[in-house]
Amino acid sequence: MKFGTIAAMAWRNIWRNRRRTLVTLASMVFGTFLAILMTGMGDATYGKMIDMAARMGNGHVTVQHPMQVQAPAPKRYISGVGALAKQLRADPQVVAALPRISGQMMVAAAGESRGAMVIGIDPTAENEDTLSALGSISEGKLFAADDKRGIVLGADLARHLGVKLGRKVVYTLTDRHGEVFSGLGRVRGLVKTGTSSVDGGLCLLPIDVLRRALGYGPDDATLVAVLAADQRHTHGIAARLRHLENPTRSVLTWHQTMAELAGFIDMKLSGAAFMEGLLMLLIAAGIFNALFVSVMERLPEFGILSAIGWGRGQLFALVMLESLWMALVGLGLSAVVTAWPYWKLSTDGFDLSAKMGEGAEVANMMMDSQFYVRIHPEHLAFIVVAVVIATLTSGLLPAYKAGTVNPVDAIKLV
Amino acid sequence: MSGPIVALKGVTKTYQQGAIEVHALRGLDLEVQPGEFTALSGPSGSGKSTALNLIGGLDTPTAGGVHVDGHDLGALSRKALSDLRRDRIGFVFQAYNLVPVLTAAENAEMVLALQGVPEKERRQRVVALLDEVGLGGMADRRPDELSGGQQQRVAIARAIASEPAVVLADEPTANVDSATAEMLLDLMQKLNAERGVTFLFSTHDPRVMARAGRIVHLVDGRVERDERRDG
Ligand SMILES: Nc1ncnc2c1ncn2[C@@H]1O[C@H](COP(=O)(O)OP(=O)(O)OP(=O)(O)O)[C@@H](O)[C@H]1O
Ligand SMILES: [Mg+2]
Repeated sequence: MKFGTIAAMAWRNIWRNRRRTLVTLASMVFGTFLAILMTGMGDATYGKMIDMAARMGNGHVTVQHPMQVQAPAPKRYISGVGALAKQLRADPQVVAALPRISGQMMVAAAGESRGAMVIGIDPTAENEDTLSALGSISEGKLFAADDKRGIVLGADLARHLGVKLGRKVVYTLTDRHGEVFSGLGRVRGLVKTGTSSVDGGLCLLPIDVLRRALGYGPDDATLVAVLAADQRHTHGIAARLRHLENPTRSVLTWHQTMAELAGFIDMKLSGAAFMEGLLMLLIAAGIFNALFVSVMERLPEFGILSAIGWGRGQLFALVMLESLWMALVGLGLSAVVTAWPYWKLSTDGFDLSAKMGEGAEVANMMMDSQFYVRIHPEHLAFIVVAVVIATLTSGLLPAYKAGTVNPVDAIKLV
Repeated sequence: MSGPIVALKGVTKTYQQGAIEVHALRGLDLEVQPGEFTALSGPSGSGKSTALNLIGGLDTPTAGGVHVDGHDLGALSRKALSDLRRDRIGFVFQAYNLVPVLTAAENAEMVLALQGVPEKERRQRVVALLDEVGLGGMADRRPDELSGGQQQRVAIARAIASEPAVVLADEPTANVDSATAEMLLDLMQKLNAERGVTFLFSTHDPRVMARAGRIVHLVDGRVERDERRDG
């Protein structure tokens, strides 16, 4: 008997009990639909979070001193960053590689003083695409390239210090030798992002000013932030850059430099994986039930087929092909049902402001209440394969039952 | 080659039902010659179905030997037995013979398809055969569009399509009315006479027995009477 003949018979068999098949297909479609939308929402949301986090200062990949994460200190800097950044930019998936200095300092004005996080940047190389705070300058603007006195402060920090645009502040830090250094800055711009840690604690200084303050040479920095075109390339880029590591510099991903965010996303992803597992189980249980009942009902028929010369393998294949057809029809229907809502949610998104207000702070970032659904192709492929595997797995026992039918007993049921 | 097509020697079949042993066959000896038209008769529980299942290679005897078409069934592997059923034995059951989602022609050509006969050839053979069993023009009907008697005719067509050595039929007329039973008997007799198909069937019905060329009467798992009539 030809494979095609068995496949054709399997096709007709799945429509014998139309109602049961449709109910089973409905549960498959429901499960697949939810899995795609959930995964797509996670992909879009976490992708956006990761990109936002990368633009807060460290990049998707960070090259810095190996001890900077555990024990940040001005003495742990790296040298030769100009050439290094050039090498990093040579990677095809890298869109920017920016030497920066990050650290802690005190900012004081008129008797008030506050601790702050400082980032030293090259104003000619940076913009809101490389450092998100630059997109949130609510008053004034970023210091110019030749501005040796310029400083940008978080809006809340400035308010606490009681300073306005154009006023002077004194910043104090320890240099690479542990000596105290004080400098004078004039406030050129104020940053208001809505995130308390930024608005209440961020200072931006020209990198060359900070180099001098810390006693660094003109080609030294604490880190080089690497931005990827797509956050999913992070690990690939990091792996390719691994050869640049040496005892004084290591290549880290955002997973390592932003452990809190990584933990949050990993937790969300394992929650989603659990839900998706449940959905696959739902699909598998539906198919298993439908196939098992239908095989049990047809045992006399399988008995007769076995009597007239069908082999065990052929009967097994018949039922497995029935479950394969179910998988294919189920996936086809899922595609039809999912297409429009998916398109709508990927282009317009949906607004959760009723539930979460105008936004919510997650891992020191302001998340917008507009959510989108955009699934990564590899995740879609994974779901499709999972549905096929769930379906085929649930066909195994029914197919085995059909294959090992005992004609004498089965026909006696008649 | 002109030995018997079916030969049973000292066949016993004992079922274990809990602590009780049920002796379905107690030393059955039976030979069927090519071209015979034989009815197995006997009261309910006398072992007719058991005997047909053993001959069809669907079950194995507790003791004794079963030979079909020169093969000792006890010596065959499951696969070889399955192939022997496909190639040398035709089966007609009491009910549920046909696959409901296949047409009359597709059901009738099932065994030929299993044997790998090319589609065109088997369709030609089967359409002619359906004509012969009185189902001309019904090749494309599904079983639920056929009467009980017509369905049994399709089953008979399937059983003889590959020209088996013997057709085994366990109460083929039990589920149809007596007029239909008469017509099925007419058909089987015609195929026996014209094509020389060997039939071995079981029945309770005295009118069916009256049509047989040979009646093997079973009682308690043994042959009580073996009547041959020349027709
Ligand atoms: N699987 C089984 N387990 C136990 N006993 C069985 C089994 N199959 C058949 N028997 C017994 O074997 C005996 C012979 O049964 P069989 O079905 O061959 O009789 P039969 O002549 O075909 O009867 P009927 O005319 O009712 O079809 C009966 O007593 C029956 O109860
Ligand atoms: Mg019986």
